[in-house]
Amino acid sequence: MAETVIAVEGVTKRFAGHTAVRALTLTVPKGGIFGLLGPNGAGKSTTIRMIMNIIMPDEGRISLFGTSAGGRSLSERIGFLPEERGLYKKMKVLDQLIFFAETKGLSRGAGRSKALHWLSRLDLDDWTNHKVEDLSKGMQQKVQFIGTLLHDPELVILDEPFSGLDPVNSQVMRDVVVEVARGGRTVLFSTHIMEHAEQMCDRIAIIAHGAKVVDGALADIKREFGGRHIAITFSSNSDAARPVLEDQHLIKRVNDRGATAEIELAAGASPDALLRALVGCDVGISRFEVAEASLQSIFIAKVGADGARPTAITGGN
Amino acid sequence: MLRKTIAVIRREFVERVRTKAFIIGTVLGPIFFGAMAIIPGLILSRGSVGQRVVVVDGTANAFGERIASVLAAAKMGDAPNGKPLYAPVRVSAAGRVQDVVDSLVPRTGLSKKSDESLDGLLIVDEGSVTTGKLRYYGKNVGSMEDMRQLRSSLTPLMISERLRSVGVDPAVAMRAAAPIDLDTRKVAEGKLTAESGASTFLLAYAMGIILYMALVLYGTQVMTSVIEEKSNRIVEVLVSSLTPFQMMLGKVVGVGMVSLLQLGIWAGAFLLLQKNQAKILGMFGVASAGGGIASILPTMDPWLVVVFLGFFVLGFLFYSSVYAAIGSMCNTVQEAQQLQTPVMVMTIAGWFSAFALLRDPTSSFAKVASLIPPLAPFVVPVRFSIARIPLPELLLYVATMIIGLLLIVWVTARVYRVGILMYGKRASFKDIFRWVRAA
Repeated sequence: MAETVIAVEGVTKRFAGHTAVRALTLTVPKGGIFGLLGPNGAGKSTTIRMIMNIIMPDEGRISLFGTSAGGRSLSERIGFLPEERGLYKKMKVLDQLIFFAETKGLSRGAGRSKALHWLSRLDLDDWTNHKVEDLSKGMQQKVQFIGTLLHDPELVILDEPFSGLDPVNSQVMRDVVVEVARGGRTVLFSTHIMEHAEQMCDRIAIIAHGAKVVDGALADIKREFGGRHIAITFSSNSDAARPVLEDQHLIKRVNDRGATAEIELAAGASPDALLRALVGCDVGISRFEVAEASLQSIFIAKVGADGARPTAITGGN
Repeated sequence: MLRKTIAVIRREFVERVRTKAFIIGTVLGPIFFGAMAIIPGLILSRGSVGQRVVVVDGTANAFGERIASVLAAAKMGDAPNGKPLYAPVRVSAAGRVQDVVDSLVPRTGLSKKSDESLDGLLIVDEGSVTTGKLRYYGKNVGSMEDMRQLRSSLTPLMISERLRSVGVDPAVAMRAAAPIDLDTRKVAEGKLTAESGASTFLLAYAMGIILYMALVLYGTQVMTSVIEEKSNRIVEVLVSSLTPFQMMLGKVVGVGMVSLLQLGIWAGAFLLLQKNQAKILGMFGVASAGGGIASILPTMDPWLVVVFLGFFVLGFLFYSSVYAAIGSMCNTVQEAQQLQTPVMVMTIAGWFSAFALLRDPTSSFAKVASLIPPLAPFVVPVRFSIARIPLPELLLYVATMIIGLLLIVWVTARVYRVGILMYGKRASFKDIFRWVRAA
């Protein structure tokens, strides 16, 4: 197991009248992209704000980089994009970014050169000396995004980073996030758009009603959930496969059509083991496909119609 | 940590100084001062200048000539550099006064402006000195101001003429009639002070109004900018890298520096205006009324400046921390209006107590008020301006002010820390009490 960057242990947060986060435990390892998924009002933002030490948990502990010093004292190492975007409307774009850099401990000079680099990277060169209020919403979001990444943080926490962006800008930002993560940094982002998480995340956690439903490596979750169905096409010697297909340890159900077979794996069996067994009995295989469940279907199956229903008071998200 | 606070101060200062509101306010201030100096003068001396008056001299002696020269010397408001009131021409008309008058009347009071047009005729007869009778035919006889001016321009000449006619040296008589110069000085605590009664009042008034204006204007700026950051949700970004205390301190100090800059520019412009008052007034053709605050500024004790500035800074920090906390408790400026009423009441109470003690700066009321932090910024400089406060006593007031300031900052910082992240309903006083107690 890699070094742990964020450890949330048994955290509960109550607001007047309802519990936003319930005994939540999360572990975000160093490196890669971690997706925090859940329907609206599930407690994603509340969790992130507690991680950032903006609000205090009622119970449980949160540690970042192995210390419980809190997000603020580690702010030089963390980039945070809150769900509610906030910029000084009357400030010029560059001045604003330099100020953000300063609050992260960068010198003005370093802040300026980083800001200029990012502004040109995200095609905002022409807007450097415009006031923020003159920018479109999408451009403002890019500026805020730059403010998050300016100081080259080891840990980037993004709350709903792609909401409200057009497909082109959304793609630009996703590319940046992927690139940031590729550089050995850790990205945690929350979203309720499953396609984004599916494309980008190495690990995910799904929460609903403030409680964790599932978490782990995306591949493991998919395998565990959806990778139970396998389609095989035999090219030759399909009879030799019969004993394998009848093995109760491997196969729960089989739809044998002779040249092709659709299989549901037995509990505890893996597609790898099945493939090894088939290869071992010398059959010719022209197709071996693990029919993956989409994250969407996992999400719906795990959270259910009930989980996506907003609670009476949807605070904290 | 300090560097981050400085970054907040710089942002607050630079962004504020760049606003149109600041630039316009800074420029309008001196214009306002200037107008205050010029308008009363303009109103006082609305009379005409450069009146073309023909002195029809029916005398055989030089009396008519002297009248003409007195008129020529008369200046607006009796100021040496004021505009001349008259452009007199003497016409010698001994024995044929009526003919000359008859010939000049058709040229007088013409509506169309021409070099030929006259404003009036002043007719001097042989008997004018004894009877005190002069005739004036003019278009402006309806102007009481012009007529008063004409009369007062000529009266001294008439008096000296009469004195001369009975063989008295006018210079001796003028000296004898010189008015009493009553020099008033304030005595406080058995010590003679430098200021006159009027200037004591003026100085206290000026200090009071500067403090009150700065606290209310800039204090509310601190408040609205906290609310703005809150409603823009910038606080969420800031609070992840700055402590609420850094944010509050940076804001208060940044706005405070803006206020000092603006007041400094105003004070500089004010002094400059006062110094060149006569010149500027002359440009508008207005006489200097004299006196004013400038006349007391040179006598202002440098220690008073130190005490005033010191208490100004302490008072500003005190009140603007309260304003910051109020801002943090509210979501809209409207909500804040109600909450800031108690603060306004405190500042007004401070101002009034400063005036209340003008009468008796050593009363026990004055001493008690000096020990109350919200009042001390108003009370102590005013007391000091009347009579110097002994150093140990002054240090005591500074100490209580600083203790009060630290206490209020401690309380307001706690309110601020919780308040800035609270959205929705406005916090009740019960909530605030809870926030302060919570660690």
